[in-house]
Order: sequence, then structure tokens, then C-alpha cells
Amino acid sequence: MDPAIVWGLIAGMALTNIVVRATPIAVMSRFELPEPVRRWLSYVPVSVMSAMVALEVLKPGDQWRVTLANPYLLAAVPTALVYRFTRSFLGATVIGIAAFLAFRYLLG
Amino acid sequence: MSETTPELAPSNTSRFLRGVRLGTPVFLGYMPLGMAFGLMAVAAGFTIAQATACSALAIAGAGQYLAIRMIAAGGLATTLIATGVVNLRYLLFSATMAPHVSGVPRWQQGLLAFTLTDETFAINAADAREGRADRFSMLGVGAVSWVGWTLGTLIGSLAGSAIGDPNAWGVGFALPAMFTALLVGQLTGKREYVAAGLAAAAALALSLFVPRDWALVAAAVIAATVMTVVK
Repeated sequence: MDPAIVWGLIAGMALTNIVVRATPIAVMSRFELPEPVRRWLSYVPVSVMSAMVALEVLKPGDQWRVTLANPYLLAAVPTALVYRFTRSFLGATVIGIAAFLAFRYLLG
Repeated sequence: MSETTPELAPSNTSRFLRGVRLGTPVFLGYMPLGMAFGLMAVAAGFTIAQATACSALAIAGAGQYLAIRMIAAGGLATTLIATGVVNLRYLLFSATMAPHVSGVPRWQQGLLAFTLTDETFAINAADAREGRADRFSMLGVGAVSWVGWTLGTLIGSLAGSAIGDPNAWGVGFALPAMFTALLVGQLTGKREYVAAGLAAAAALALSLFVPRDWALVAAAVIAATVMTVVK
């Protein structure tokens, strides 16, 4: 592939990414946000996480898997329990991967 | 954010290392994803240096997969517009992090913005909610994630097809597992459960009509708005 085009693409992507990610931080961290805005922002993480889990578990790889024979769905249960009782992201992730492999093997 | 016992306050290094530890699941998830990108990029005609530079400078995840698919067929401008659109959700994530980095020096804010991804956002937002995140821990999360993604790309582009399918090791569940744990950590009260339920339902319903990234952002906006308006 033409090196000029590839490097142009890389430079362009690097630029748009930093602009998109840095602008809100740079602008909004300079002053105190109004209470309703802060309230709204406080619900963003839990909402994003829940939407992400729903899509990752019930529609992994953009394929619907709304069934109990779904290793993604089943493995999410021990993952959630391990985190609930140990508060360890790493522990929950490792157990989650092990459970996922086990369920995938068992379900064929 | 603030320390109640200054004489016992951890050093900047230990805060950074705490962030590195927090970010280790992201590292585990990014390595294979980066490897997959490296493989695909080289197959699409990128050199090893180009593939690695793309990951190191853009850290755009899905946007990068899209870019190598589009650049082969289409023009530079349309590819840049498409990848920019895919990354618009970071406007929302960046805005959410803004109150947590208000006292941070500009250049460190820049580094934090540069390493802002779905996963580092999730980790740092959860950590900030517990009042533990500080700029050093957030920089640690960002650094270890960046290393995972960039190193993975380098390995993938060097190894070519020799590494086989990383999915055989179950790494496809690393990031879903991390998000599941983070979600559990966020469910601190009745209103959080309601927000989570709303967002999950909205995301699944919207994903019938619009691409995944849009469904994700729209669902979060809907859930946060409902929770703010309905007291």
C-alpha cells in the first residue's frame, strides 16, 4: 500500500482521537459544572458498563445469543460473584476466562 | 481523591503502581486484540512499523479494525470520517472524567485523554466513584493499557499467522469479564440498578437498528437522562 496514504491515515487518526478525547476534559475541567450536569454525568459510568455487558454477553461479536447455552452469559455469573466477594478485577477476569473456557468446552 | 492521613499517604510511585495493577485485566484483554490488529494490518498491506505506530498513536480499537478494512477499498477522507464517528463516544467519556481531573496539570490531562478508551474509562470511573482514583493511578491504568495494545500489535505484526487464533485461549472473554466486574462494582444502590436495567434494555433494543457503538452511547444518554429527570 502507498506509504504516504498509510502514514496520512495514521496521522489523521491520531489527531482526531486526541481532539475528541482531550477537548471535553480541557474545557469542562476548568470550571465547576452545574449540579444537574454533574448528576447526569454520575449516571454515565453505570449506564455505559451495563449497556456494554448486555451487548457483550447477549450479542457477542454482533451475533444474538439469547439462550442459556451461551458461554458468555454463563461465565458472567461466576465473574460477577468473584468480584462481589473479592473486589479483585484481576481475580474476576481470570476466573471469568476459566469459566468461559469450561462452559464453551462443555457446550461443544 | 484526598488523603485523610497525609503522613500515611502513598507515594506517587505506589499510586502509579496501584493503577498498573488495576489496569492489568485491560492489559490481558488488549494483548490478543492488539495481536489480531497487527495480523490484520500486515495482511492488509501495512508494514510492521505502520501497524505498530497506528496502535501506539491512535489507540482506537474498533476504529483501527474499521480503518484497515476501509483504506484498502476507499479513500483517505472517508476512512478518517468513519473512524472519527466511531470514536465520538469519547466526547461523552471525556466529559464524564473532566470533574475528576480538574486539578491535574495540563500535560497530564493530555496523557490521560490520550489513553482514554472504553476500558480505561470504566476502570477509572469506577475507581473515582469510590474516591480512590488520583492522577497517578489513572496514569498507571493508561500506561499499562497502552503497553498491552501497542505490544500486542507489534507481536501480532511480527508473528504473522504463526501465533494462530488467540481465541483458543478464551481471551475473547477477558474484556466482557472485566466489564461484568466493573458493573457489579457500580451497583451501589437502588437507583444504580434502575439505571443499569434501563441502559441494558435500551442498548439491546437499539442494537436492532443502529451499529453497536451508537447503541451503547444512545443507551447511556437515555438512562442517565431518565435518572436525572425522574427523582
